[in-house]
Amino acid sequence: MLDLSSIVSQVRRGLIPAHVYGDPEIFAAERDRLFARSWVFLAHESEIPDPGDYVVRRVLADSFIVARDEAGVVRVMFNMCLHRGMQVCRAEMGNASHFRCPYHAWTYRNDGRLAGLPFHQEAYGGEDGFARDSQALLSAPSMATHNGLIFISLDPGAPALRDYLGDFAFYLDFYTRQSPAGVELRGPQRWRVKANWKIGAENFAGDSYHTPHTHASVVDIGLFREPKASKRKEGALYQAGPGAGTTYKLPPGGDFADQLRYVGYPDAMIPAMAQTWSERQRALIADSGFMVSAATLFPNLSFVHNWPQIDAAGTVVPFISLRQWQPVSERETEVLSWFAVDAAAPGDFKRKSYKAYLMCFGTSGMFEQDDVENWVSITDMAAGSMARRLNLNSRMGLTSEDKPVKPPLASFAGPGLAYQGFGEYGQRHWLSQWSDHLEREAR
Amino acid sequence: MTAARPLPYGDPAHLAAHQFLVEEAALLDAADYAGWLELLCEDIRYLMPVRVTTARGAGFDSLADMGHFDEDIYALRKRVQRLATDHAWTEDPPSRTRHFVTNVRTFRDEGEDLRAESALLLFRSRGDTREADLLSAGRTDLLRATADGLRLARREITVDESVLRTQNLAVFL
Repeated sequence: MLDLSSIVSQVRRGLIPAHVYGDPEIFAAERDRLFARSWVFLAHESEIPDPGDYVVRRVLADSFIVARDEAGVVRVMFNMCLHRGMQVCRAEMGNASHFRCPYHAWTYRNDGRLAGLPFHQEAYGGEDGFARDSQALLSAPSMATHNGLIFISLDPGAPALRDYLGDFAFYLDFYTRQSPAGVELRGPQRWRVKANWKIGAENFAGDSYHTPHTHASVVDIGLFREPKASKRKEGALYQAGPGAGTTYKLPPGGDFADQLRYVGYPDAMIPAMAQTWSERQRALIADSGFMVSAATLFPNLSFVHNWPQIDAAGTVVPFISLRQWQPVSERETEVLSWFAVDAAAPGDFKRKSYKAYLMCFGTSGMFEQDDVENWVSITDMAAGSMARRLNLNSRMGLTSEDKPVKPPLASFAGPGLAYQGFGEYGQRHWLSQWSDHLEREAR
Repeated sequence: MTAARPLPYGDPAHLAAHQFLVEEAALLDAADYAGWLELLCEDIRYLMPVRVTTARGAGFDSLADMGHFDEDIYALRKRVQRLATDHAWTEDPPSRTRHFVTNVRTFRDEGEDLRAESALLLFRSRGDTREADLLSAGRTDLLRATADGLRLARREITVDESVLRTQNLAVFL
């Protein structure tokens, strides 16, 4: 029998019982206590630009149709026919005015309302016997958008999304609002890895410590813009609201535009960033001298921003990726990885940034390849008996008296708390939210 | 797409194309990536679109603007260079791979280049505890005759899964 309170108290000390990365009982608790409540990302509005456009996405086992209806309103509907429970949409994307169940042909408008069913009069007694107008596919219990990102919660009493995002919204803008046009997403690439879903989420939340070793090969070949991966320790690690992330330290002396040019943004894009971001957001780059890199929004949406050299001439081009760690079981995760780019960016930039993304992240990405090898191996080890006797040490940056090795940065322009140097602050911040959920009763 | 008839299987051009694909597979299975690069044209495009599940009437079943690979010679050389470092952990220890190439048909309908279509089944085994991975794909290649023999000018890989069941594409198809 699972002793959740004991597990959680260890986790809160930064000592993680290793079996949590391969334990079916933990996975069931995550499903019932965490994913039953938390805001979870499903799609971006740019994936369904026109009326009738839809994508089908899951929250664990629950399939949802994310559609733009004829009036242009984004709808999220549970993909199960009201009659016998068949999936009403078995494609993963497309454009449709209606979804017709293949079983008995109950047919729904793309806003979810039941439009028709065969033999309504003969079989059900018409509107008097069965009022079609009152019937609709189940809506997601809670749905909201931010910067075009569509989130749902299975909890009808979920807090307002904007309240949930809190101070992380400040950082979210660097990835998803570089101009008033917002970002457009392409993809996702989808693949299944034999790894527990938490490992990737934690990694992106703050693991700058793995870069010098795990990603040594991309430094060896000059793909990485920075000549030494040990430069990672000069970056700031922040935690804000439900998110946490990593940054790189920019070269000294540059102004806002210089720093964006350093990571490869063309002059054509910089004025929009200057106008769209707040003074405080600009100050994070220009005054504090940090550029955002990897981040995770609890529970399972991660972001990456990096700037590799994409050709023999050494052209540096930045890219953004959003990725979701979609749990399949305690031992398997479906990764969904999107390329994201400012919708208003010049076509030449979009083309180069896409190349930068493919070389670095996603199914074939040269960074990501080595990450997944690690995560699969951890999951393999976590499933055995000995893992139940081992608490993984996740206390980096804390002394034995639970004091930070270094004080938080005093001059960091962003909200939340930030530390410079290596430390598992972001991972512990993520795990603390995980603990909060697991301590609550199941919904 | 294929209205043209394939070359007869005894045609020397077909035999040369078939031999090229089999020899290429042998280089990949031997992890002789430097040798593999020599089979590629400088202007190669190496493409693997993301496949998606769509309704029959949708008119598309792959994404036009997102691939698993969309490579030029620079990107492919970087990948090979990386695998040759001492720090490409995902392939150290290396996978055991077998590229099964079959259903080869050759067409002469793209100007000077030969077009070869083939089916590929890639078996990939890692370590001693994991189940092996399979990747099934069709390939459409353009093969160019050069002074050194046939060289690959373009490859489009049509993978048969929308969700890949392998931990990464640290392999070539």
